[in-house]
Amino acid sequence: MLAPGHRRLVLPLLSALLAGSVLAGVAIGAVPISPWDSLRLFAWRLHLTGRPGGVSVATTVILFQLRLPRVLLAAVVGAGLATAGTVFQALFRNAMADPAIIGVSSGAALGAIVVILTGAGAAAGGLGVSAAAFITALATAILVYRLARLGPAIQVATLLLAGVAVAAIISALMSLVMTFSGQEIRSIYFWLLGGLGNASWRSLESSAPFVLAGAAFAVWSAADLNLTALGEERAGQLGLEVERFKRRMLAVGTLMTAAAVSASGVIGFVGLMTPHILRLAVGADHRKLLPASILGGASLMVLADLAARSVLPPVEIPVGVVTALLGGPFFLYLLRRERRSAGARA
Amino acid sequence: MPGREDALVVDGVSVGYGRHPILHDVSLTARAGEVTGLIGPNGSGKTTMVRVASRSLRPAQGSVRIGGVDPYSIPARSSARLIGVVPQEVAPAFSYSVLEMVLMGRSPYLGRFGTAKPEDWAKVRWAMAAANVQHLADRPIEELSGGEHQRVILAQALAQDAPVLLLDEPTTHLDIRHVFEFLGVVRRLARRDGKTVLAVFHDLNIAAATCDRIVALSAGRVVANGPPGEVLTRDLVWEVFGVEADVAPAESTGRPFVSVAPPPDAGGPEGTGARAHVIGGAGRGAAAMRALAERGFEVTAGVLHSGDTDDMVAERLGLPRVTVPPFSPIDARSAADCRELLRSAALLVVADAPFGPGNLENLRLAQEFAAAGTRTLVLEQVPIEERDFTGGEATTLWRALRRRAHVCSSAGELARALDAATQRS
Repeated sequence: MLAPGHRRLVLPLLSALLAGSVLAGVAIGAVPISPWDSLRLFAWRLHLTGRPGGVSVATTVILFQLRLPRVLLAAVVGAGLATAGTVFQALFRNAMADPAIIGVSSGAALGAIVVILTGAGAAAGGLGVSAAAFITALATAILVYRLARLGPAIQVATLLLAGVAVAAIISALMSLVMTFSGQEIRSIYFWLLGGLGNASWRSLESSAPFVLAGAAFAVWSAADLNLTALGEERAGQLGLEVERFKRRMLAVGTLMTAAAVSASGVIGFVGLMTPHILRLAVGADHRKLLPASILGGASLMVLADLAARSVLPPVEIPVGVVTALLGGPFFLYLLRRERRSAGARA
Repeated sequence: MPGREDALVVDGVSVGYGRHPILHDVSLTARAGEVTGLIGPNGSGKTTMVRVASRSLRPAQGSVRIGGVDPYSIPARSSARLIGVVPQEVAPAFSYSVLEMVLMGRSPYLGRFGTAKPEDWAKVRWAMAAANVQHLADRPIEELSGGEHQRVILAQALAQDAPVLLLDEPTTHLDIRHVFEFLGVVRRLARRDGKTVLAVFHDLNIAAATCDRIVALSAGRVVANGPPGEVLTRDLVWEVFGVEADVAPAESTGRPFVSVAPPPDAGGPEGTGARAHVIGGAGRGAAAMRALAERGFEVTAGVLHSGDTDDMVAERLGLPRVTVPPFSPIDARSAADCRELLRSAALLVVADAPFGPGNLENLRLAQEFAAAGTRTLVLEQVPIEERDFTGGEATTLWRALRRRAHVCSSAGELARALDAATQRS
């Protein structure tokens, strides 16, 4: 853990990391765009300067219609999943919670798919998809929470088991629904493994407001999230209306998950890894951890998407594959670490 | 200024967990400017009384009033400005620093985002100084000893700056110097600041030396209520605790001093360096592991599920243990490994974990070794019926185990049972 004196450097460093990731994200691709050209084009689009010379129209279109919405969507999705993970970890009093691991992401994807396939989404637009994703995700969250709660506490094993089982059932349902409606395997892949290939300004518009509002609300509630981590009775003794707060934050975490999943499918492990790593850097206090998770999750996702589309060009790997390849071993390491010092086993 | 409006009045309270009645028609008053002690044997309802008075457990009948206000009728935030509580155990899920923990005591006063004003920092500094934890400010809470942890929770409660302070066995983990300091602080809070203090004490002599009034509970009823000299008599100690004691005024204070001869059948092989095994799960075994490790026992644990709270606590304490992967039931090999540990254990502590098909084997192991004569302590804060997820099998095993074990109904009681075991060796 960093010394308290160094912790104040973390937020500026993470902000710089996010800015650097975004620049790298728009720079790298089939047609490279230099960061300098990107910056000049941004300045022009923000009406700060005139149109920069020596930059082709094609470059301008690639930057603003393809790369930038995708990179910004990655940042929004990453921030949303990381914030939701941080909130769920505090609510469940458990550092293993993550929107995908506890099944909430799959729940959201199921709702989104049903609306898209039945065509109900066409009437309501992107909002209809997000709303349906939110409703099924919330139902999943409540179901898993009920299943995991044995007596006075949430047990890690039960939480993970219930989440994995529920997620598996929902993924199977999703595949079934899509197979019967004649969808291509590709689009099933997209929902199960996640991807940012469909990114557009429109998908950004229908997810960013929910993620930003949710993240702002979570930061606003950071001090109370600290209290829930002490246990429900203690939180009440320190002045928190526990039941109301729990319901509210469960809804907020689920809303951010649903908005992220509606735009990008089920992307795992971002919500697990980000708060875990940043707790080592800034400590457990959610007033520092949440802003750090928002920036860190956004950066992680932009870089993961960059890797997904540039490691094996022209093939694009689903970004969920990248996060799972990073996060799966991390998750196993966490489990293994708990087990390793069991000297009695030796 | 001290005033009658700060007093805590409990009137005709009855309450129980499920079908088990704990308190029957309890009435008591704690006055402003005084320390009121709550004494009684294990399971007499002291902790339940604290929970009822701290707005954590709504009584089925009767009422609680803080200066005439029913804390259950006002928002939690308002109630937290009236009542500060030091419970027996607070287990944060993440490792906050001591300063962060104490600042959380200011929650009922802070604005959104928890921004502290200079006045809040002043209260935090005062609370940390009063509880003698200011030198620990930047330390992570999980690295602290039991006594330091307890003082941090006291600082958290003091930072609430509430007129009523409820303490549930606040000196359990403290050494004698810190007990002395702690009680000095508590008495000053009452005398000088006019606070109303209600404190559960297990040590009758600490209660006698500290309290202005003492309320004795037995089987959930008030059996005596008055100044220490009137309450702490040979007859009462016999009636309530079933112990022959000598009670005489202490030379230095003139207050009653209770001395008890150890019962003749006491004795055991345990002590520093002795092997002890903890069967827990879901965080229920954490207190036992800590308490044993602190007393110099060589502690082992299992069978635990990897990543379970107890597994993490054991990891932090560096204890050897038997684990199975998450989601897996206890297999024959783990059971055999655990039996190996149990065979060399002089003391077995079984915590009140939830039992399901996945960990029922633990109860069978406990029962097997308790029956074979391993000295066994059972921690039972939650009745077995509420944590039996096997459809009754766990309840049957638990009841059989209970008959062969010494039953402790709180972490504090467990700590004392261990102290007794350590001292005898």
